[in-house]
Amino acid sequence: MQPASVSRRRLIGLIAAASALPLAVACGATAPAATSVPAKAAEAPKPAEAAKPAQPAAAPPATSAKPGGSLAGTKLTILTGNSFVPAQDKLVDNMVADLGQQTGMDAKVERPGAQMAAKIATIIESGAGGDIAIMADTDPFLYGDKLADVSEIASEIDKAWGGWYDVAKQSCIVDGKWRALSVGHAPCAWNYRTDMFKAAGIDKFPDTFDELTEAAAKLHAKGTPMGMTLGHAGGDGRSTNYPVLWAHGGKEFQKDGRTVALESPETLKSIEWYVKIFKYLDPASLAWLDPDNNQAFLAGKVSAMTNVNTVYLAARDAAATDPEKKKLIENMDHANWPSGPAGRVASHNINLWAGFGNSKNRDGQFAFFRGWFDKKFLVPYTKVGQSYFIPPLADIEKEDAWPDDPKLKIFRELNKINRVIGWEGPPTRAVAEMVSKFVLVDMYAQAVTGKMTPTEAMKWAANEYKQAAAKL
Amino acid sequence: MSTETASGHHLSTPHPALSTRNRLSSWLDREDVLGYILVAPVALVVLGFLAYPFGLALWLSLTDKVIGGDAHYVGLQNYERIWQNGIFQGAVRNTLIFTASSIAAKLPIGFALALLLNEKIRFRKAFRSAVLLPWIIPTVLSAMAWLWLYNPNFSILNYVIANLGLGRGIRWLTDPNIALFSVVLVNVWRGTPFYAITLLAGMQAIPNELYEATSIDGANRWQRFRHVTLPLVMPIMLITLLLSTIGTFSDFATIYSITGGGPMNATQVISTYSYGTALGAGRMGEGAAISLTMFPFLMVMMIWEIRWLMKRQSA
Repeated sequence: MQPASVSRRRLIGLIAAASALPLAVACGATAPAATSVPAKAAEAPKPAEAAKPAQPAAAPPATSAKPGGSLAGTKLTILTGNSFVPAQDKLVDNMVADLGQQTGMDAKVERPGAQMAAKIATIIESGAGGDIAIMADTDPFLYGDKLADVSEIASEIDKAWGGWYDVAKQSCIVDGKWRALSVGHAPCAWNYRTDMFKAAGIDKFPDTFDELTEAAAKLHAKGTPMGMTLGHAGGDGRSTNYPVLWAHGGKEFQKDGRTVALESPETLKSIEWYVKIFKYLDPASLAWLDPDNNQAFLAGKVSAMTNVNTVYLAARDAAATDPEKKKLIENMDHANWPSGPAGRVASHNINLWAGFGNSKNRDGQFAFFRGWFDKKFLVPYTKVGQSYFIPPLADIEKEDAWPDDPKLKIFRELNKINRVIGWEGPPTRAVAEMVSKFVLVDMYAQAVTGKMTPTEAMKWAANEYKQAAAKL
Repeated sequence: MSTETASGHHLSTPHPALSTRNRLSSWLDREDVLGYILVAPVALVVLGFLAYPFGLALWLSLTDKVIGGDAHYVGLQNYERIWQNGIFQGAVRNTLIFTASSIAAKLPIGFALALLLNEKIRFRKAFRSAVLLPWIIPTVLSAMAWLWLYNPNFSILNYVIANLGLGRGIRWLTDPNIALFSVVLVNVWRGTPFYAITLLAGMQAIPNELYEATSIDGANRWQRFRHVTLPLVMPIMLITLLLSTIGTFSDFATIYSITGGGPMNATQVISTYSYGTALGAGRMGEGAAISLTMFPFLMVMMIWEIRWLMKRQSA
C-alpha cells in the first residue's frame, strides 16, 4: 500500500475549495456591509441633484461648555449623512468647527455614506468609532439603552421651542426615556404638473382619494399617467404607501405595539382603492427605486408622483441655464395628501440625533446637541433647506425658517400630518423588520398586479407581521 | 575537532551547528514536511480570517443576538422560524434559480470564449484584455450601468428594441417573471470572463504535441476537442465551476443595487434577505441563520466536485 502523498494540484484545489466555502457563508450576513449599499437611516431620503440654497450665515452655537472648560482636550466624532441640499452640510461643518474652537474639543464630522448602518452597528457592539450618529425613527427602539439618555436635553428643548410634536416623542422616547432627539422629517408631497392636469381638465389637485382615482383616469387617457412607487425603494416606498393605509383607517399594530391589526376591513378598502387606481398609473412605478420617480417626473413621463422638495429645488437651480427646467418649474407645483375616510395623513422619513451610550464624552455629546437646537443654528439650517427638513418643534412656526417661494408653501402644512410607522403602536423592532422587508409595499404590489387577490395580499402581509411580532 | 573511537581511530566529527543544519536540511528534503511548512501561513490565514468568522456566524445563528443586545442560546429556533417564512422560501427558490441559470450560461459562453481566444487570431492580446473588463469593474459600478440599460422609465435596451421595430420593449425589472432573469443576465455578463480566462490558462497548458499526434492519427477538430482539450481542461473547469458557484450563490451587490430584491421579492435571494434581517431589523442571530442556510447546498456541491477530482487523479 502506498502512503498517501499530497500532490500540489490536489493541495491547491483543496485549499481553494476549503477557503471559499466558509468565506461565502460567513460573509453572507456581513459582506454586504462592505459593498455599496444605500444607507438606511442617515442618508437623506431622496436622491436628487444639488439644490440652490439661500446662504444665511449660521451663528456659532451657544453651548453650556466654556472655552478651555472641561471639554478641552476631549474628542467628539459625529457621524452624519449627506444632505441633498449641500449648503446644509456646510452649516453643520461650520457649527462643529465653532464648537471645537469654543470648547477646545477635537470635534469632527464624518459622513460614512453607504456604510452608515454597518458603522452604527459596529459602534453599538464595540464602543469605538464615534460618539453621535444620525439615525432613523426605529433605531432608538432597536438599540434602546445602548443609546445615551438625553431626557435632560429633550426637556430643555421642549421648553425653549414651545414643545415637541407628538411624532418626535413617539420616535425618541423608549421606556420613558429620550434615547434620541428628532432632527426633523422630510415632508413628502405630491409633485404634479399643472399643465398636464389642465390639459386633462383638472383644475386643482384632488382633495380626496376618490378624486385622485378620477384624476388618474383622466391623465391616463391623455397619455400622461401618474406614478406611485411600488418598488423596493427605501425612502419613497414607505412615504408613498403608508399614507394610503392610514388614510383609509388601516393600521399595522394596536397601541401595545405587539398585537397586529393589519387584517381589517379598512386595510382591505385601501388595497381595493390601490387596485382601482393602478390601472391608470405608469406600470413602470412597480419597479421604481428611489431615483426613478424623480427621473420620470423630470422627463415629463409622469404627471404626478410623491417626493420631497428636491425635484423642484434641483429644477429651479438648473432653470437659469436650462430652458426645459425653466418650463418645468413654471408648470409644476406641490400638493398635500388627499384626505381619506380616516383623514389626511403622511409618512415622512424621520432623522434623529442619538448619542452612543458607550461614548466617553457625554459632556461633548450634550454640548453638540445644545448647539444644534440653539435657535441661532437651527433656524438658518432649516431656512437653507427650503423645507427639505423640518424640525418637529411647535415654535419653528414662529421663526423665519420658511421658504419664500410660494410653490414650497404646502410643506409647512405637511409638517403637521406626519405619523410614525408602526402606528398605532411604537416603531418597534418588528416594525423595522417589516420596513426593511417592504411587506406593506409588497402587499399593495401583489394585489395591483393580480398576483394575489386583495384579501390574499392582506392575509399574506398580516402573516408576515405576526411572525415578526412573535419575536418581540 | 576530533574524537577517539573504541578501536582507537580518530574520527573527525562535524561542527554541532553544521550537524543541526544538515539534519534540518534533510528534514526539509522530505516532501510531506516541506509541504506542510509551506502551507502553514495560508492555513493560519484560513483559520484566523475564515474559520473564526464562520464559527462565529454558526454560534450567532443559534442565539437570539440583536445589535446591542446579549446573545442567548436558543438552539435551532432561528432556523425553524425562517424555514416557515414565505419570503425566505421564495429567496431560497430564487437563489437556486439565479445560481443554476447563471452557471448554465456562464460555462458554455466562457468555454467558447476561451477556445476563441486560444486561436491565433489578430489582436489576440487586446481581445484577451478586453474580455476581462466586466470582471475587473467594481460590481456596484457595473450594476449601475445595467440599471440604466434596464431603467423602468428609460431603458436603453427598450429604446433600441423599439427603434429596430421589434415591439415596445421588455419590462426588464417591472415584470416579476422577468426581473430575476434580468439580474441573471448581469451576473452572466460579469462572471463569464472568469471562466474564459481560467479555461484559457488551462488550454494553454496542454502540450501541442498531443494535438499534433492526434492530427497525424487523422483526428478532426471536433475529435481533438473531444478527446484532448476537454479531458485535460476538465480539472481546472471543475475548480472554476466550484468557485463560481460559491460566488454566484452569495452574490449580493448585483441584486441589491439593481432591484433591492423587488419587485414583490421576485429577485429576493438569501444574501439580500440576510442583509435586511441582520442590519435592517438588527436581528444578527436570525441573519446569520439565513446566511448559513447556503452552507448545505454549497457543501454538497463542494464534496461532489472534490471527490470527482480526487477520483480522477488516482485514476
